[in-house]
Amino acid sequence: MSTASVLSAHGIVKRFGAATVLDNIDIAVRRGEVLALVGPSGCGKSTLLNILSGLLAPDDGELAVEGVPAAQVRDWRRIAYMFQEDRLLPWRTVRDNVAFGLEASQLSRADRQRRADDMLELVGLHARGDAWPHELSGGMRSRVALARSLATQPDILLMDEPFSKLDPQTRTQMHEELLRIQAGNGMTVVFVTHDMEEAVVLADRVIRLAARPGRVADVVNLHTLARPRVPTAPVVAEQVRVLRAAA
Amino acid sequence: MTTSASRQFVSLLLQRVLLGGIVVALWWWGATRVPSFVLPGPEKVGKALLTLWQSDTFVADVSATCRRVLAGFVLATIVGTGLGLVLGASRVLARFFEPVLTVFNTVSSAIWAIFAIIWFGISDATTIFVVFMTAMPLILTNVWEGTKTVDAHYVDLARSFRMSRVHVLRKIYVPTIMPHFFAGARLAFGFGWRVSLVAETIGSSSGIGYRLRQAADLVQTDQVFAWTVLLVGLMLLLEGGLLKPSERWLFRWKPSARQPSTSSVSSSVSSSVSASVSVQA
Repeated sequence: MSTASVLSAHGIVKRFGAATVLDNIDIAVRRGEVLALVGPSGCGKSTLLNILSGLLAPDDGELAVEGVPAAQVRDWRRIAYMFQEDRLLPWRTVRDNVAFGLEASQLSRADRQRRADDMLELVGLHARGDAWPHELSGGMRSRVALARSLATQPDILLMDEPFSKLDPQTRTQMHEELLRIQAGNGMTVVFVTHDMEEAVVLADRVIRLAARPGRVADVVNLHTLARPRVPTAPVVAEQVRVLRAAA
Repeated sequence: MTTSASRQFVSLLLQRVLLGGIVVALWWWGATRVPSFVLPGPEKVGKALLTLWQSDTFVADVSATCRRVLAGFVLATIVGTGLGLVLGASRVLARFFEPVLTVFNTVSSAIWAIFAIIWFGISDATTIFVVFMTAMPLILTNVWEGTKTVDAHYVDLARSFRMSRVHVLRKIYVPTIMPHFFAGARLAFGFGWRVSLVAETIGSSSGIGYRLRQAADLVQTDQVFAWTVLLVGLMLLLEGGLLKPSERWLFRWKPSARQPSTSSVSSSVSSSVSASVSVQA
């Protein structure tokens, strides 16, 4: 693995009991790219994402962040993780939810609040900072979760099917939102999805995994596909069809 | 406040006044038909209340009882919360100690009171001990139950931000347990308050419970009633002035501000004896 990649995994193996979930996975994530991990259920894509986040230890293989082996990485906070569910804490206001991740840092309370407000501004919810999570729609909650992940100003954002529970229209909005923000700050995004359309619309590269045991089937390069990508556009639809056919 | 809300408030207020009026009327009517040592009338009790208020020992008695209840309650809160968290954190310890909790919850407060007399004699410790033994298991059980409701999703979220165990405890566990703790503490305070009077009747030489027994021994029924009215007033004040508002503020984030049943604290002194038998929560 070259040190040029911002996140690299080499020979990753993960077993749960007798089952081998991931078998000898090699992945190199390039700086500033949007990378999709797709594959059938049970191919271990979420497990792989958890290993990339450093929260789950692999049984074998090496993980490196900016060329530094995982064991020596000091600042894991440069990697943010966005879950499938929004996981907003119901007892906190929207602003305090966004500031949640910052509370593990050294920032003062005033700085945290300011940062949270900035992030809410970024996702277009600056007017709802004092609202309670239960007062928000699903799309708004998802935006708050995104703002919370972005508040720590991560270099790498890992997302586990983050928009899968939203209705199609809101999901499209969130895609645009994410790409706009990513274009603005140039962060690296790695996300897991089972939705090929989502993968094609968002990603620069798609890594397709095969199941039992989980392994890399192929890597599809989408750099040449023009942006913005509309699902209904013929080239995008064609690419989605190709990916689906391969699965 | 909107007009419909204020109209609702006025309507509620009228209902309360009506209820109070009916109770007093029934009381007054009943008092005219039986001897006053059985049921003294409202005006007689009012007079007794006034004498009580002006007596030398009044402030000392009320504050003595309050002090004992508070001491027992605070101790119960500290120990109950601590043990509840420990049992919640360790499945092994929880399984081992579960029978002890059942025993605590089954033993009547009256029995604790008798033990307290044997161990501590006539002293503050007797009442404090009884309040503690009644309130502690209730708080423990509720905090323990609360730890079971902590959402693993939220813990993972905190871990994804690389938060320490202390952070997870403070930012995820404590807010999750809070409603359970509050429900338990409220129940515990109500029970503690009632059993304190039982303890004071047998193990004290001051306090409201002691005065109650004194009045009963001398067949000063009007005084017994006066104390009762006073206690009910005190409880209502505590409920409306402290518990309700703090609960509303603490749990303002809840979707529908559904409040738990309010009957736990504001019950009359006359139920204290029966309460001590039915402490099982």
